[in-house]
Amino acid sequence: MKKQPGSVWVIAEQIDCRILDVSLQLIAHARKLAIELETSVEAVLLGDKMNEQTRQLFAAGADRVYLGNAPDLAHYQPEIYTEIIVKLAKERQPEIVLIGSTSMGRELAPLVAARLGTGLTAHCIDLVLDENKILESIIPAYGGLLSIICPEKRPQMATIAAGVFPKPEMDENRTGEIIALEVPDDIPRRIQTLEIIREKPQGVSFESAPIVVAGGAGAGDLEGWRKIADLAETLNAALGATRPAVDEGWAELETMVGQSGKIVSPELYIGVGLSGELQHMVGIVGAKVMVAINNDAKSPVFEQVDYGVVDDCREFVPVLINKIKEYQEKLVTC
Amino acid sequence: MIDFTFTEEQEMFRKAAREFAETKVADKVPEMEETEKASDEVVKALGEAEMMALTIPEEYGGLGLGYTARLIALEEISKVSVATGMMLQIFALGIEPIIQFGSEEQKKKYLPALAKGELLASVAVTEATGGSDPTGIRTSYRKEGNDYILNGRKCFITNSHIADTITVLAKDEENPKAFNAFIVEKGMEGFKPTREEHKLGMRGCNTGELAFENCRIPSENLLGVEGKGMRVALAAIGDVGRGGMVGCALGLHAACLEASVKFANERILYGKPISNLQTIQNKLADMKIDLEAGRLLGYRATSMQDKGMRSSNEFAVAKYFTTEAAQKAAKMAVDIHGGYGCMEEYAVSRYLRDSFVLGPSAGTSDIMKVIIARWVLS
Amino acid sequence: MLKIVVCVKAVPDPKEAHKIKIDPATKILTRSDVPFVLNLVDKNAMEAALQLKEQLDAHITILSMGPPPADNIVKECLALGADQGFLLSDRAFGGADAYATAYTLAKGIEKIGPYDVVLCGMASSDGSTEWVGPEMATFLKIPVVTRVNEIVEYDGEWWKVKAGLENGYRLVRVKLPAVFTVTRDLNTPRSLTFSGIIKARKKEITQWGIDELAVPEESAGQKGSPTIISNLATIDSKRTVEIITGTREEKAEQLVQKLADTGLI
Repeated sequence: MKKQPGSVWVIAEQIDCRILDVSLQLIAHARKLAIELETSVEAVLLGDKMNEQTRQLFAAGADRVYLGNAPDLAHYQPEIYTEIIVKLAKERQPEIVLIGSTSMGRELAPLVAARLGTGLTAHCIDLVLDENKILESIIPAYGGLLSIICPEKRPQMATIAAGVFPKPEMDENRTGEIIALEVPDDIPRRIQTLEIIREKPQGVSFESAPIVVAGGAGAGDLEGWRKIADLAETLNAALGATRPAVDEGWAELETMVGQSGKIVSPELYIGVGLSGELQHMVGIVGAKVMVAINNDAKSPVFEQVDYGVVDDCREFVPVLINKIKEYQEKLVTC
Repeated sequence: MIDFTFTEEQEMFRKAAREFAETKVADKVPEMEETEKASDEVVKALGEAEMMALTIPEEYGGLGLGYTARLIALEEISKVSVATGMMLQIFALGIEPIIQFGSEEQKKKYLPALAKGELLASVAVTEATGGSDPTGIRTSYRKEGNDYILNGRKCFITNSHIADTITVLAKDEENPKAFNAFIVEKGMEGFKPTREEHKLGMRGCNTGELAFENCRIPSENLLGVEGKGMRVALAAIGDVGRGGMVGCALGLHAACLEASVKFANERILYGKPISNLQTIQNKLADMKIDLEAGRLLGYRATSMQDKGMRSSNEFAVAKYFTTEAAQKAAKMAVDIHGGYGCMEEYAVSRYLRDSFVLGPSAGTSDIMKVIIARWVLS
Repeated sequence: MLKIVVCVKAVPDPKEAHKIKIDPATKILTRSDVPFVLNLVDKNAMEAALQLKEQLDAHITILSMGPPPADNIVKECLALGADQGFLLSDRAFGGADAYATAYTLAKGIEKIGPYDVVLCGMASSDGSTEWVGPEMATFLKIPVVTRVNEIVEYDGEWWKVKAGLENGYRLVRVKLPAVFTVTRDLNTPRSLTFSGIIKARKKEITQWGIDELAVPEESAGQKGSPTIISNLATIDSKRTVEIITGTREEKAEQLVQKLADTGLI
């Protein structure tokens, strides 16, 4: 007799009692995988006073929610969160566990995976099932795509960034079972979160921006980077960065666009001083118009955009900003 | 068996020097070009990065690394700023007579502070009558009690206005065959740097004239044996001096090639980067061939020098080849850049100017050929 | 004395890593002579260790896993000021995923001896998983804090650190021994010095293989890796590009027109 596969899990994440979009996106995708696997979708939600929010998880496609509700769980606490999830996974034997590539997810996922002795794929840009119903995690590398599988160990675990999967259609009529989780009392508590500070992000947020300007190593230095930032400001665009630009210290890690950073879906994308590395380009999903400015005519970025300008971005961008301003002023006066 | 590879340690030296040049020198190049002065910050940074300590023996606070390591450092620094390479090259040339001929007291007095970069050194042989035949110099000394009285002028002296100690060659007033090399210190009575030169290239290193008017030098500042100063001055020029210019030339050459490759890939002509054109490829290949050949000559000579072998003839060959090749490379780099090559915004215009200063320093190409021919005919 | 272990990795030079490609026909990685360098953010871990050593009585051990040539990055760390180095190198370690890597490194740390702090970069530029730090901590059965961008208190058994969050940070109190993965924001790494390189001559790099580590073969390298690469695909993200030409002014003008056509500016 064929063994009934375990369910597809999503470790949902909440910040100040608000469920993150990525968790809902993952539940909707888990639904698709679960249909193919003929199994159910289950979400794990840890927080405090979260009963009401479980409805969203059901609306997005969960059949069952494991809910840990306790003051101790209000914020991410690595030891307690890991312990609860590991214990539950050992009991329930899920087939697949998906976690958002957030700062919590990126720490919690490997803690859980190592404890369960299983594999974990990072920052996937797609998740599909192969002919043997094994989860294939798609990851960009070396100018191509790698499929990574975890053939033997279970659960199969993966982290996925917000925006990789679309916003789910919420079915407010869906309901499901809630199973309450106990908070174990034998936690070592060698890590204590004393304070969580979240500042309001500066600039235009990626989620809502119709235009994304992204800059790369071609900026040359901080001064060059500021010119790209000026371009973004002129266009009222969100400003993203490639990994090299983050590594240079010009841009914050949180503004990194790409596989291990943000996934964005703007109408217009302008890549400045970047070479079109796949790890960055997979971060731009479904842009209608793409533009690149790069001084190297042979740069692969020019194979991935609609319009290209071959020029030193440090020289070109200020000229472009002036022209845009002229155009914008003309619009106002008309 | 001959080993033509760098050791892991030498690769690390290169990395350290490159990081230093890129982080501490590159930013200062525009300012040095603008002001036509050496940058105090660069001089300080050179000291902090132990670049002054490379050839100074460990017992005097140096690193005792020898000349291959020095060539590596000079090459990397000159790739970013050949003027800074030049400053450092003349520094080493200035202290070499102290290392080779200095008394224990002199070494203890000067070398530790020089190694730390607290003192900057130079050397002064050349005069208006020329530098290639130092027997023709006119700067003279006479003995007065325990002191020497120095009179004359030196010209085209690198680090002239910023050096703290200068190795000066002078002739006996009475005996035209006797020469002495002295350590002259900044502020000694009767000594002052006068005119500051404006050079075609290498604007970021200071070059000028020194004047000695009855400059009193105590006998403890005499380098080597009384009357045998020519040996003191020449020993260093033949290997340390020429070798330093090889480093400057190799760095400049590498910079020319790098800038040319970058530009050739960026510049579009007939819808394609000009690096697709054979005529451009030909130039790039020529530059690469000369760079590789120059490196072999230069590092062969330093490896001989490090083994304590006589190497001044090999350095003459390397100096001739690399400085000539760097000049050719600079012209090709400007040619590849077309009109842009004539604009000051493009570094290649500086490279071309700098390349013309490589030749005369530490002996012109013609002098190198005289030396090489003498070697062949001997 | 504070005993610090810094885990470092040799990665293809990110400046040239784009030269490594998948051959569309054979689906094999094209051979390339891209040099290996010290992973960028590992330098911040190294710098953190050096700064701790300047403040406290500390001893720094470097640990890396990789092929024998990776000893040059261990040497580099010794030249920067670490006290001793270990390279875990064995054919059997090849093909390891993050899990097997973390396991092997944990075995290495245990064999090195007592330790208080394990520092590593947040992620490697080639793997980019961020898993090795937390998984290693799990195998060592000690706490971990990822994305540390400030070490606030570092005297005594409990440390206080700030760790990056989306648009913010968390202030965490953690009991040693512990693993910390660090970000580029933590500090500015120092450069190599010639005298440091000379001092490193006398420092030893010990190489351990699978036998010395007593790691079972099925737990190491590819065999010990739960995940495997099942396919390499090339992708076709190509668009037909229109290169805008002319003088700088003309290019800018034409591009503004194209942007205006989108109705977005």
